[in-house]
Amino acid sequence: MFPTDTKILIVDDMLTMRKLVKKSLNGLGFTNITEAVDGEAAWNEVQNALKLGAPYSLIISDWNMPKMTGIDFLRKVRATDQTKHLPFVLLTAEFDRDQVIEAIKAGLSAYITKPFSMAILSEKLQSVWAHMASAAK
Amino acid sequence: MDHKKLDISFINPFIDGAIETLKIQCSFEAKAGKPFLKGKGPEIKTDIAAVIGLTSATFNGTVALCFSESLFLIMMEKMLGEKNTSITKELEDGASELLNIIFGQAKKVLNEKGYKIEKAIPTIVRGSNLSVKHLSSNPTLVLPFETEFGIFHMEITTQD
Repeated sequence: MFPTDTKILIVDDMLTMRKLVKKSLNGLGFTNITEAVDGEAAWNEVQNALKLGAPYSLIISDWNMPKMTGIDFLRKVRATDQTKHLPFVLLTAEFDRDQVIEAIKAGLSAYITKPFSMAILSEKLQSVWAHMASAAK
Repeated sequence: MDHKKLDISFINPFIDGAIETLKIQCSFEAKAGKPFLKGKGPEIKTDIAAVIGLTSATFNGTVALCFSESLFLIMMEKMLGEKNTSITKELEDGASELLNIIFGQAKKVLNEKGYKIEKAIPTIVRGSNLSVKHLSSNPTLVLPFETEFGIFHMEITTQD
């Protein structure tokens, strides 16, 4: 599982959803959490963190957001050498098979369909961590 | 779509979605009450409502998720772990997000049945004892939900 000091970026245009994800992550022991209000702000935050030498180790992003959607943000992350392997989890209120296939092709690490429990979040993060560990071998 | 088709197979995914969403996201047990046509049943106090448009190839409509202030604040406290004494601008989007999730669940089930409902974004309506006006000549169905902290409801209207 991800260490509890993992630097995490939550991206959602809805404040209540950011709070909910943060509360769930706190419940799993994670405390190093930053929030961004859309894909554009998140991309700026990711780049700033890189410049400061303190990159993010996990992104949990909403799908539908103004300015830059979750999948466009994912594509930017994957298109950049320094972030192309950054674990990226998408949250969506609408499961759409075509969208999920599109996101997997774009390099999605995992997706979570809302509503989600802390147990589901934990399960998905464990799965992403296990995949990263096996890919590193 | 004829409003007479606003039947159990169309309504159930919204009922199931609401119960499931509140259970998982707010640790809130809700029980579906007996549906009735708006104006032909009890008035249920509404101070905040999230409204979403239903658009498909064959019909349009609206779905509204309506709460009293006191029940909404309890629900948000359970969802976010923070106590609020009034519905702030920031807290309003909680109603929008809940409806968005319920709509997403219902849409998935209904589209598997061929309804072809399109994506939509909820809007928020605020006011003391407000009544949501649906732009349809068809009757509005009211779906009440009982909880240990009071009643909330959904309203569904379709238009050919």
